[in-house]
Amino acid sequence: MNSLIEMQAVGHAFADGSSGLRDCSLALGRGRRHALLGANGAGKTTLLQHLNGLLRPTAGRLLLDGQPYDYSRGGLAQLRRRVGLVFQNPERQLFSAQVEEDVSFGPLNLGLDAATVRARVTAALDAVGLGGHARRAVHHLSFGQKKRVCIAGVLAMAPDVLLLDEPMAGLDAPMQDELTALLDRLAARGTTILLSTHDIDFAYGWADDLHLMAGGRVIASGPAQAVGADVDALDAAGQRPPLALALHAHLVTRGVLPAGQAPRSVDAVLDALRIQPFQPLTKTPT
Amino acid sequence: MRIETAAYASRWQGVAPSAKALFALGGMGAAWVATRPGTLAGLAVVLALAALIGARVPLRTYVAVALPPLGFLLLSCLTMLMTPGVATPGVATPGVATPGVATPGVDGSWHWAASMWPAVARTAGRSLAMLAALLGFVLTTPLPDLLALLRRLRTPELLLDLMALCYRMLFVLRQAWEEGVTAQSARLGYRGWRHAWRSTGLLAGQMAVQVWQRASALQMAAEARGYQGQLRFLPAEFPQARRQNAWAVLAAALLLLAAAGDRV
Repeated sequence: MNSLIEMQAVGHAFADGSSGLRDCSLALGRGRRHALLGANGAGKTTLLQHLNGLLRPTAGRLLLDGQPYDYSRGGLAQLRRRVGLVFQNPERQLFSAQVEEDVSFGPLNLGLDAATVRARVTAALDAVGLGGHARRAVHHLSFGQKKRVCIAGVLAMAPDVLLLDEPMAGLDAPMQDELTALLDRLAARGTTILLSTHDIDFAYGWADDLHLMAGGRVIASGPAQAVGADVDALDAAGQRPPLALALHAHLVTRGVLPAGQAPRSVDAVLDALRIQPFQPLTKTPT
Repeated sequence: MRIETAAYASRWQGVAPSAKALFALGGMGAAWVATRPGTLAGLAVVLALAALIGARVPLRTYVAVALPPLGFLLLSCLTMLMTPGVATPGVATPGVATPGVATPGVDGSWHWAASMWPAVARTAGRSLAMLAALLGFVLTTPLPDLLALLRRLRTPELLLDLMALCYRMLFVLRQAWEEGVTAQSARLGYRGWRHAWRSTGLLAGQMAVQVWQRASALQMAAEARGYQGQLRFLPAEFPQARRQNAWAVLAAALLLLAAAGDRV
């Protein structure tokens, strides 16, 4: 696989002595959609912060395009230009009072001129559907809108890799759909995306690759269909099997659906059911 | 919070802050130049109407924001008009009014200093006009626009960064405080004075931790976006700024002319 980022046996110990990552390895394929799953405290956020260079490994190493991460001032600036991180809680990311100002923060730090920054800010806000909100106050926005401003703030830096820490948390269903559509558009443009989530059904349906974490390690990694079917690994990561897989297996066992590759979502299972010939239930004689 | 809400809702939000600042400066200059109480009162009315009608600042908001300084002004005027009965040998004869000087009494009681009326009227009028000019500016200009203007005027970056962060944190912490109070109320935290004091104390302690945590989180978020020691933001664009500045200068000049008439 053509890996854009690699973690090799990375370990991280926090100042209080607790362990964040232990012998953690991961490879992110270029231009693919990745989902990171794991129980609370599994180390998902710690892993994402390593990828963006916010945390440094106490053991092991990270590679970008085959080159070890450069933690010098210039190296970090270059890294963060290419690898953007969207935090889980927008209140902890947004520090300017106005939408346009906050989105411009990252591109200005890249040393771009004002006209380019302005164009990027406009494009990023349009991409997240907030084109008409540039001059609004951040504290007047809803939670979902703030989250989109956070994403725009990173998109405006035009990163090759977009990391999102639980982007669906706190969003209602329509907003989740909008965000999914946005991520699909970005993936179609070739952006490599890694998001952490607790929603196995979303991850299974959306991602090309799944990565399961437990105890500060990635315990399973690979194509979504293979990892989604690995019941033992899912169990070790505190996840249940994807609903679409379980439902499909059940319907195959009952002879309702033909055996074959399982659909990636419940909707796809329903679509498969709809094209089956209709068989009315026969009444059991009493 | 009222000021901030009014500024974002104002019809002049899209007007260049430099134009609004020029107009306000013109108003302040006119208030400084004018001497007659009538002219000063007229200036105050014109400036207040500009905010209320021109910028459509709600009257209720305007009055609510103006009340504290007006209260202070009233108190100051009363202080000038009432003088304690302390005799100052050689300054004035007790009971005899001296122009511009409060009439002191010898009996230790408070006295009404009628001679101070002209000075009080002038000071009150000037203060009102200054206040109206200032309110017209702050009630129509969101703080980020003001910060951008100060940046253009070469205010020290560190001061501006602090202002920007404090402004943002104000709303973040307000939200955190409200959420804390709601959570405590839901568990009967404010049932009676004793509980209320205890809950408030606990929350205040918790907020200190939150401030520290949020400051660390903001630092981390800034670093994730390439922060290198300076908060840099793109200032808002005001395409009509030149024309608006010209109008503001004209309006300010008219105010100054009207005020200068007092001195002729």
